[in-house]
Amino acid sequence: MQTTDRPAVSARALTKVYGHGAAEVRALDGVDVDFAAGAFTAIMGPSGSGKSTLLHLLAGLDQATSGSVHLGETNLTTLDDDAMTRLRRDRLGFVFQSFNLLPMFTAEQNVLLPLDLAGAKADRAWFDTLVQTLGLGERLTHRPSELSGGQQQRVAIARALIAKPEVVFADEPTGNLDSRSGAEVLSFLRRSVRELGRTVVMVTHDPTAAAYADRVVLIADGRIAGDIQDPTPESVLAGLEALRTLEGPAGSALVGA
Amino acid sequence: MLRLTLAQMRRSLGRLVAAGIAIAIGTAFVTATLLAGNVLTRTGYDAVTLQFGQADLVALGGVDDTTLAQARAVDGVDTAEPLLTGGIYLTAGNRSSYEVVVGASADERLRSVGVSHGRVPAASNEIALAPATAERLDVAVGDTVSASYSASVADPDGPDPQWEEKKDELRVVGLVDDPDGAWRQYGGVGLAPPEDVLRWNDPGPADPIASTLLVTTTGDPAQAQQALAKALPGADVLTKDEAAARTISEFSQAGNVLVTVVLGFAAVALLVAALVIANTFQVLVAQRTRTLALLRCVGALRGQVRRSVVVEAAILGLGSSLVGLLTGSALAQVALAVLNRSDIQAPLPSTVTLTWAAVLVPLVVGTLVTVLASLVPARAATRVSPVEALRPADVQEVSTRAGRLRLAFSLLLAVGGGLALVGAALGAATGAVGPMFWLAVGLLAGTTSFVGVLIGAVLWVPAVVRVAGRSLERLGSTARLAAANTVRNPRRTAATSTALLIGVTLVAMMSTGAATARTSLSRELADRFAVDVEVSSYGEPVDAAALDASLAAVADVDGVREVQPLRTVTLMAGERQLDVVSVPDARALVRDARTVEGLADGTIVLPASASSLADADGLTTAGGEPVRVTLVESNLGGSAALADSGTFDAIAAGTTPTGLWVRLDDDADAAAVTRDIQDHLPSETPLGVQSGAAERQGYEQVIDVMLAVVVGLLAVAVVIALVGVTNTLSLSVIERRRESATLRAIGLTRGQLRASLAVEGALITGVGAVLGVLLGLGYGWAGAATVFGNAGHLHLNVPWRDLAIVLGVALFAGLAASVLPARSATRTPPVAALAVD
Repeated sequence: MQTTDRPAVSARALTKVYGHGAAEVRALDGVDVDFAAGAFTAIMGPSGSGKSTLLHLLAGLDQATSGSVHLGETNLTTLDDDAMTRLRRDRLGFVFQSFNLLPMFTAEQNVLLPLDLAGAKADRAWFDTLVQTLGLGERLTHRPSELSGGQQQRVAIARALIAKPEVVFADEPTGNLDSRSGAEVLSFLRRSVRELGRTVVMVTHDPTAAAYADRVVLIADGRIAGDIQDPTPESVLAGLEALRTLEGPAGSALVGA
Repeated sequence: MLRLTLAQMRRSLGRLVAAGIAIAIGTAFVTATLLAGNVLTRTGYDAVTLQFGQADLVALGGVDDTTLAQARAVDGVDTAEPLLTGGIYLTAGNRSSYEVVVGASADERLRSVGVSHGRVPAASNEIALAPATAERLDVAVGDTVSASYSASVADPDGPDPQWEEKKDELRVVGLVDDPDGAWRQYGGVGLAPPEDVLRWNDPGPADPIASTLLVTTTGDPAQAQQALAKALPGADVLTKDEAAARTISEFSQAGNVLVTVVLGFAAVALLVAALVIANTFQVLVAQRTRTLALLRCVGALRGQVRRSVVVEAAILGLGSSLVGLLTGSALAQVALAVLNRSDIQAPLPSTVTLTWAAVLVPLVVGTLVTVLASLVPARAATRVSPVEALRPADVQEVSTRAGRLRLAFSLLLAVGGGLALVGAALGAATGAVGPMFWLAVGLLAGTTSFVGVLIGAVLWVPAVVRVAGRSLERLGSTARLAAANTVRNPRRTAATSTALLIGVTLVAMMSTGAATARTSLSRELADRFAVDVEVSSYGEPVDAAALDASLAAVADVDGVREVQPLRTVTLMAGERQLDVVSVPDARALVRDARTVEGLADGTIVLPASASSLADADGLTTAGGEPVRVTLVESNLGGSAALADSGTFDAIAAGTTPTGLWVRLDDDADAAAVTRDIQDHLPSETPLGVQSGAAERQGYEQVIDVMLAVVVGLLAVAVVIALVGVTNTLSLSVIERRRESATLRAIGLTRGQLRASLAVEGALITGVGAVLGVLLGLGYGWAGAATVFGNAGHLHLNVPWRDLAIVLGVALFAGLAASVLPARSATRTPPVAALAVD
């Protein structure tokens, strides 16, 4: 595990408010957090805790109400839409719960999509490495409808990594997969950190998935509620339990494996 | 179920708007047409009523002297006058004009027009002219004009009368004033004493003098009507309104035909609208799969689901038809107001009359079309299985492939129809049976083949789009994205492209037909005339000085390039006559120098129409002396052969010129210059002017106007099709929200998204337009061949300019159609669509 001094992405006093007045919902409330480069970090919390919102803001997919997000030196909150889009294209990668592949393109075309949009040429060596690592060699000419869920997610991961992004954001990547495919996907993500030197930030509600990470950030009610280094399924579960007792009788249900 | 249907409608209101617009436009078209028809009928009726003056009763039937006397003797009849109309040929100097004249009744009430300058003609050989005629003849009150007419003379040898030409000298005593345009259909009428009108339009001794008797009554008109009816058993005695209605019912036949033809175009527009509706409902059903599945899961029957879609279509159809009805009425009313404000002298009503037909027909038709168009999607809705409610979101539906049966059927119709069309064109060329027969066959064949093409559209349009898309791929990733998106749903793309295809094919066909007609007519006219303008005395001798004066006068006219004196002599070739003419320098006069290539000493150039004489035994003069010359065939127009001066002198020395040949400047307005030539000719000469160029110009104007009208009517269908493109794009955008969000997340800028949608729109419209142009060319050529093939002057034209305009408009519209959907697509933040359902 390689760490550098500067965090890959960080948030300061990050706040996101929906609605106003009596119907106001503070999805995020003054969040301060750093994510180390070259590390696999998981964000965990009960549903409604704001973890997806945090991910969206960190990834530049949504605008914060107040506070700032820094990707390396760049302050995301000062960018306009075009600049933000280009930043996502060139410096970030995404893996979604519902795969989100384009159905009319082949697997290979889907993988190369971000480069296509940038008008950049593909690094063939890197492409071959990814394909080999993710075991997609036989499937490159197939369309998403001809691939299993696990295969689709692997294509999505390849797509996320093709532009050699600074950070890969994953939103519940195993949510739609059976346990075996899920385990495969998680180990690929870990391998991309360990062997390919990537940074991955993953949101999950599954303690077993979180255990693949190097660090788990716990979030509840829009605020950072805890931090677990070198997690195991048990320590994560314990951490979540602790969260539950903090919430009180109206707290949301704990989601377990 | 109804509440659910309404709730669903409210949610999808935005998506239904475009479809509603399509139907509204179609029904507005129908409404406006029907209302215009009403106005035409009403105007005609009002005009006829005006022609009856202030008569109380009108007797329709033959009127002669006996019936006139009988009518006058009836109790309660004040005055009775026949409605005399006729036409005469008026000349003043060398200007002439045909004018319709009306007899000036002694009773002022029965006169339908008055006089603005001068007075009503009272004595014989006096006339009041229509202002337009006076202008054309260049006469004023106090001048004299000559009237030419035929009079019957009893034949001593037999029962039938003989006709002899007569000429009267008339004094112009006034100008007719027709403020309400009672006689507008004739362009104005003249007023003359009844005995003159009778003399000029002598029907012959056995025929009645008029067919309408105008009567004013005293006392109770109903009683007078009865009494008059008894006195005139052979006539229909009606009130003025009844008589007008009776008369107009004959004329309204023609008006009805016109309305029917325009309604045909409205039908095309509604057909296109139906395609748009069908498309919309298909997409709606696809988008509501989960809701429909849920309903079926929970207990809705197939029939209920189908009915729900149909009811939704009916509500949409009724609502949009209502909007269309109101819009069409408003448009018609505005047009009427504008016309009334302008200078048109016609008894136009001030408001449109909303008859039951004009209100009900658009409503019923619009609703019916919408419901029919929704039937197929409604059936598709019943095929949603309940299980799909339980599947996770985003199961991508694989587009179904159309069956082989459809392919076979479509090929049969298209190819069969196409062959029949070619057959009709060939058959017309042989000249057997008659052009109308071949035209009917061609029309049927063409329609069949077009229907076949449309049925098969869903099969081959996507293929064409894919090929076109592939050629765009080089332009970058945005284009590639657009191309891929366009072929994702072949049915939808085909339906949208097809809607545009219909309109464009028809427009292209009309343009091609018109262009070919123009060329063919111009060729045919070129064959009838050797030069632009021919001035001839038609056999009468012309004074040499007068001819010189004419030559000088014509040379002075603006637009005349060359004028030369013409000598003519008639020769015999066996039994047949051959006119031979000669001018000093033919090459300067003819348009095509090749026709006079063979002109040399001792040679006579035969016109194309007399080429059979080339093998004639020998030419002789009218007196029988042999003429020794060589006969040369050529493409010369007209019916006279051409000889140069030397050859002509050898045949008929001493003949003086009896006419002129004129060549116009290339940019001259043929009709105007011809009129000028006519006006400049000294009035005492018996010279008349004939101009092929002016005739061609006249025909071309007619063709151009007709083409403009037809294209205007078809434009409505095209507009609806373009609304359909916007519809398809916006529905696709909604369907692809998740993918668009993904693309935005991984780096597609808003500009790139807009560009991709623009390319998609242009691709759909571009393919539809190109295919439509090609089909239209084919049909246009086939149609022209069928109509003109027999004349032997078929020249297949490509109206490049018109076709380019059509393509340009279609492409631009495709781009424009993407603007609104693109706005809604780019406004969606990536986050909103990424959420799991």
